[in-house]
Amino acid sequence: MFRGFYTVASGMLAQQRKTEMLTNNMANVNTPGFKAEQSSIRSFPEMLMSSVQSTHIPSENGFNMKGIATFGPLSTGVYMKETMPLFIQGQLQETELTTDVALVDGFLPVDEETGIQGAVFFTLENDAGGTYYTRNGNFALDANGFLTSSSGYYVLDSEGNRIALQGDDFRVTESGVIMEDDNDVATLGISFAARPDALMKQGDGLFVTETGENLVAVNTIPNATYSIQQGFVERSNVDAGRTMTDLLTAYRAFEANQKVLQAYDRSMEKAVNEVGRV
Amino acid sequence: MIRTMITATNTMNQLQHQFDIIGNNLANSSTHGFKASQASFQELLYEQFTNDKADRAPRQSPVGIRYGTGAKIAQTQMNWKMGSLQSTERQLDFALTTPKQYFNVIMPTEGGEETVYTRQGSFYITPIEGGQLMLVNDDGNPIANAQGMPILFNDDVADYHVQPGGILEVTGNDGTVTRIELGITVIERPNLMEHLSGTYIGLPRNLAELGVTEDDVFTNLQGADRNLIGLQNGVLETSNVHYEKEMTDLINVQRNYQFNARAVTLADQMLGLINGIR
Repeated sequence: MFRGFYTVASGMLAQQRKTEMLTNNMANVNTPGFKAEQSSIRSFPEMLMSSVQSTHIPSENGFNMKGIATFGPLSTGVYMKETMPLFIQGQLQETELTTDVALVDGFLPVDEETGIQGAVFFTLENDAGGTYYTRNGNFALDANGFLTSSSGYYVLDSEGNRIALQGDDFRVTESGVIMEDDNDVATLGISFAARPDALMKQGDGLFVTETGENLVAVNTIPNATYSIQQGFVERSNVDAGRTMTDLLTAYRAFEANQKVLQAYDRSMEKAVNEVGRV
Repeated sequence: MIRTMITATNTMNQLQHQFDIIGNNLANSSTHGFKASQASFQELLYEQFTNDKADRAPRQSPVGIRYGTGAKIAQTQMNWKMGSLQSTERQLDFALTTPKQYFNVIMPTEGGEETVYTRQGSFYITPIEGGQLMLVNDDGNPIANAQGMPILFNDDVADYHVQPGGILEVTGNDGTVTRIELGITVIERPNLMEHLSGTYIGLPRNLAELGVTEDDVFTNLQGADRNLIGLQNGVLETSNVHYEKEMTDLINVQRNYQFNARAVTLADQMLGLINGIR
């Protein structure tokens, strides 16, 4: 009877999911290397509406024929289809700690098909021997002197090996070479994703590829440039003002849907209690 | 239920810890030899939702949506950089002018005596049995010499001097000179040390579990290595807390807290709207 009843309910649900995502962005406004999520909301697949009607055929005896006519498409709701991290560069923040490094995007090639710019990441070793990618350069030294991420995954060098260091008195050059007493010990392994949208967030600031395949090293990409800043971390790229505005917008959209739901309810009340009164 | 609330509360709880760390840094901004700590955040787990298996709509990102659940403190790191030196013109105030070098303090514990480390060099003398004097720190704990024993000398002192190599020269009224080697330790891995009360740091209790030995963490300077010691008397090392950095962080954390509190309010209002449908 009321087709829109469940449509507005789906609208409320979609807006609720959006506020949940925006709250997570807001929660990570201080997380180094965090990439803000964006959502896209899509309507349910459309369906064709048709009506049962009679067609009048001009004939002598006024013959009517029952027929079905379509009168257009209708969508019965919306849902949150995608969440995608926004890969723009965050600001740098000085921490004075030698184990903190920030990755700064230089020129990165744009994918011809999608028009999306590639992205560079630090490479980490995961528990299963595969790789994780992260922009969070808030590193630490573990008990055995290996360079690890803040959650304890080994940072890999350009050859895919763990990086062993004597202590935290090391220097990292702009190109990512780690120097200890003027000897170069290792080069930070920087990976390049031509299609960063195809990466999935894993928590802890980690990204993985959907298929589990490794990304390519950035130095295999012609013209791609980046630089490394030691003693800095890349701040989260969440814009707190915009996120709060989006949050309020989503809230109001949720409220509007709720109002429509109430209106449907009142219509139904009329149908049940007044139309049906004998 | 509305996940917004949980995401925001998780984060607020962790922000509270960061407040505590900043508060402690600020409280110790005039403690000699204090080393500031800083907390850094990381994302919490992501949950994968596959809400649209049947959906064949074109999309850029991998199937499903990934929900973040807030942020947590990833690690707190001690900044071992030196504080500036303050002249006190007091003979028993010492400052180590090389970073990562620490005085050895003998601290009585339940399980006997234990050596702990500090850069706070305001020392005193205290009379003990037998008409001798002992070198102690603010808390009355004895300072160790290079052999790890308390420093004792006769109750008849005209002057104290520091000589290169970390040697304390005590000149008696009769002109006799006692040369004492102060116990100095270089802690190569200050971030591995456990923060005890005050400005003391000690070996972590789970050293064996971490798979490292004392030698990996620090070196007691003996013999020729003692020439590395930079020691001065009449000066004290101030804390390395940057007041302006801490205040900026404090404001930042407070705003972040407010943003998350606002998200809780919005979630509450959304729940109110749901309740208000009928």
